[in-house]
Amino acid sequence: MASFATASRLSARLVRRTLPRDAAFRGFRTSAAALAAQNFTMPALSPTMTEGNIAAWHVKEGEKFAAGDVLLEIETDKATMDVEAQEDGILMKIMQGDGSKQIQVGERIAVIAEEGDDVSTLEIPPDSESKKPAAGKEAAKPESTSSPNPETQPDSPAPATAKESTKAKAKAAKQTRPLLPSVSHLLHENGLDESAVADMTPTGPNNRLLKGDVLAYLGKVKATVPASLSERFDHQSHLDLTNIKVSIAEPKGAKIPEKTEKSQAPVQEDAVIALPISLEAVIGVQQKVSQTLGTFLPLSTFIARATELANDELPLPAGAKPTADDLFNQVLGLDKVTNSSRGRYLPQVSAIPPASLLGPRPARRQTDIIDILAAPTKKASAPKPRSQLAPGTSTGVNVFSLTVPKPEEKRARVFLERVKLVLENDPGRLVL
Amino acid sequence: MLSSRLIGRSAVRSCFQKSTMPTLVGALPSRRTYATEAEQKDLVIVGGGVAGYVAAIKGAQEGLKVTCIEKRGTLGGTCLNVGCIPSKSLLNNSHLYHQILHDTKQRGIEVGDVKLNLGQLMKAKDTSVAGLTKGVEFLFKKNGVEYLKGTGAFQDEHTIKVQLNDGGETTVAGKNIIIATGSEATPFPGLEIDEKRVVSSTGAIALEKVPETLTVIGGGIIGLEMASVWSRLGSKVTVVEYLDAIGGPGMDAEIAKATQKILKKQGLIFKTQTKVISGDVSGDKVKLNIDSAKGGKEETIESDVVLVAIGRRPFTGGLGLEEVGVELDERGRVIIDQEYRTKIPHIRCIGDVTFGPMLAHKAEEEAVAVVEYIKKGYGHVNYGCIPSVMYTFPEVAWVGQSEQDLKKAGVKYRVGSFPFSANSRAKTNLDTEGMVKMLADPETDRLLGVHIIGPNAGEMIAEGTLALEYGASSEDIARTCHAHPTLAEAFKEAAMATYSKPIHM
Repeated sequence: MASFATASRLSARLVRRTLPRDAAFRGFRTSAAALAAQNFTMPALSPTMTEGNIAAWHVKEGEKFAAGDVLLEIETDKATMDVEAQEDGILMKIMQGDGSKQIQVGERIAVIAEEGDDVSTLEIPPDSESKKPAAGKEAAKPESTSSPNPETQPDSPAPATAKESTKAKAKAAKQTRPLLPSVSHLLHENGLDESAVADMTPTGPNNRLLKGDVLAYLGKVKATVPASLSERFDHQSHLDLTNIKVSIAEPKGAKIPEKTEKSQAPVQEDAVIALPISLEAVIGVQQKVSQTLGTFLPLSTFIARATELANDELPLPAGAKPTADDLFNQVLGLDKVTNSSRGRYLPQVSAIPPASLLGPRPARRQTDIIDILAAPTKKASAPKPRSQLAPGTSTGVNVFSLTVPKPEEKRARVFLERVKLVLENDPGRLVL
Repeated sequence: MLSSRLIGRSAVRSCFQKSTMPTLVGALPSRRTYATEAEQKDLVIVGGGVAGYVAAIKGAQEGLKVTCIEKRGTLGGTCLNVGCIPSKSLLNNSHLYHQILHDTKQRGIEVGDVKLNLGQLMKAKDTSVAGLTKGVEFLFKKNGVEYLKGTGAFQDEHTIKVQLNDGGETTVAGKNIIIATGSEATPFPGLEIDEKRVVSSTGAIALEKVPETLTVIGGGIIGLEMASVWSRLGSKVTVVEYLDAIGGPGMDAEIAKATQKILKKQGLIFKTQTKVISGDVSGDKVKLNIDSAKGGKEETIESDVVLVAIGRRPFTGGLGLEEVGVELDERGRVIIDQEYRTKIPHIRCIGDVTFGPMLAHKAEEEAVAVVEYIKKGYGHVNYGCIPSVMYTFPEVAWVGQSEQDLKKAGVKYRVGSFPFSANSRAKTNLDTEGMVKMLADPETDRLLGVHIIGPNAGEMIAEGTLALEYGASSEDIARTCHAHPTLAEAFKEAAMATYSKPIHM
């Protein structure tokens, strides 16, 4: 078949060269005898469609269109659908304008010409006979065959159906690929020429001619069968996105994270961890720096840097569930990576009079030294001898506290101990 | 002369490299991989599983600037890390072990002491997994995909905030965003998965010792594969399934029945039409209270390990979808249209986290299609033609519609089948269990479905998928030459049986 097609294309080209425009050229086309323009008939957009209304033409008379362009919109009782052009061409004349109602499938609605044709010189083909070569290219949808007389008997004798199929059938797309083994077998078995393929309606994927199509052509099965089968395949080839029940947008969307939270709910209790830390050493360094360099470093700088340092590589929270990753990493022997992670703690600092250490747990003060200290930082860089102590802190002991989920208690304690270590023992390193 | 000049130059360069490169390299890498807010990527993908990584590579091949965010630390998602790949390693090697133990003697191969070294078995699995995940990472490098190890969450419609695994945070902005966060095992209500005694598929591929008794809740593909592995290694395995057939949805009923029979012969105990009411993990053994699906036959089964394999559910936790208004359906799937667009057109979604079967190869197809939609405006996945394979022994594979599907839809069909017991290759292999079954349209002979149970069914189904994709009739398959002697001949004979008669039966 491929060679046949190539041959006809080649000879067509030759003919074209010698005879400017002639029937001979078109004669090689697969559409039997499109001498001039072609009738474009109402396509069947579904197997059950028998008639439809024209909502609007998207291409005007005399305009060119390319394959894939939307030619017109058709309304049926079910939906409005676009009809796309399958090949390039020119819309020569519109027979049924916008708003035409109840046009039978197969009825002529327009006349189209090939690209490059001189529309003015082309003859408009007669309507009735047009059905033979016919049924516009768009009607290549095989269903069109079914439409006008779907009552064709299932066991109608072969010749009758065959006649019908050649008559009302859409133009077969040129079969450029090798024919399926079953198809070529059937052709030979029935003494058919490969040119008969042109009269068959391919229903396979990408217009492939299937065994069923040949059987339909031969009248061995009802002409509508292959098409309706294809319809079903086509339906199945898409995800079924009908009947989606949207989870009521906001609440449900939030529900999913909620659920995970719920499962963690018993763990969600918070623990308060507090550690008294003396800032004496820090203030000592602060004074030294301000004396020697003349720059005043706020306490917040020290605390922020100590926090930064202490957050590094903290042990994982106690009850941390091994995630799928962890498990798999264990399997891979990579678990050393997951033993620690970087923390994101920020301690609350409040000053207490030393005596209260012995009393009940210190109430946390509302004021946060970070806030207090952070705000005046810039002004404070002026070396005016402000009171060295910000309100809320004391030269003595301050309580650094953290509120964390229970399982993280140990992790948080390690963090605070590190802060303590750095601030009490070696604060000088924080500013060097 | 030219060549001498070249040599000279490269020598100079190597000198230069030696002296200056090390310091440069040392300083750069930590910064280099993080996207700055300033640059906008063409495509940002959340999830480096099969859907995500394929989309990333495809996108890069199409000339897009791509970032892929993955929190696991290795690419490939569930499939490569804790799913398809490791389980296939275990299935293959446990089959070998089982065969040496029980089967090779009759073939004339006598093996002395056969010992199981579970540690080594797991190591072999890990080697396969590590090789493949690294391979994907290499492909990222090769194609210039930026790979961020961290947890992504929507900050706004165009920006993803990434909590990096190494600490710190960054943001990536993308013109297009693909959600490919995959799925997780559905937990059984009332049974907390600790991955030691109550395990999901993740724990089931990493048990530290062979449990004496194993109960599998759910007789679907995952459940039966893991049941097979541990049963071969010596566990007494009970499979509890709520429905009356194993294999999960899609498996042809006749094939499912045949499978159950064969697996039962291998030692699996099936309790179909049975529901699990509650579980108790307090004792030495995990206790499950089960009852007939209709009620009235309560009993308790004890086992060392319980595998929960009742399905998987979409995973979108922590992604911040509510932040941007992406909708989920009642089962937590991200709602999309035929072009994989969510409510927000430039955010698309593919893979397990959205509609369709939760299969790696389906995700892979979607990944290519979605990139084509983004780049070229058209892509396609033929959902009617996605094969399924269960890697038990014998394997079970199918594509297209099952007999019960067709019955339910009221569609007429013709059946043809051919048993492996009549296939020469199967006979020589002494693996003759199973059959090939085909369903075709009775009038046009167009193929509707192929169902295989038998050795190598998973490979053979490719032919059925190809046939279905091309709209072939069973006659087309039958008229295609198949090599002799091969198992594939059974495929051809089944096609012959469908449209006329098989020769060898």
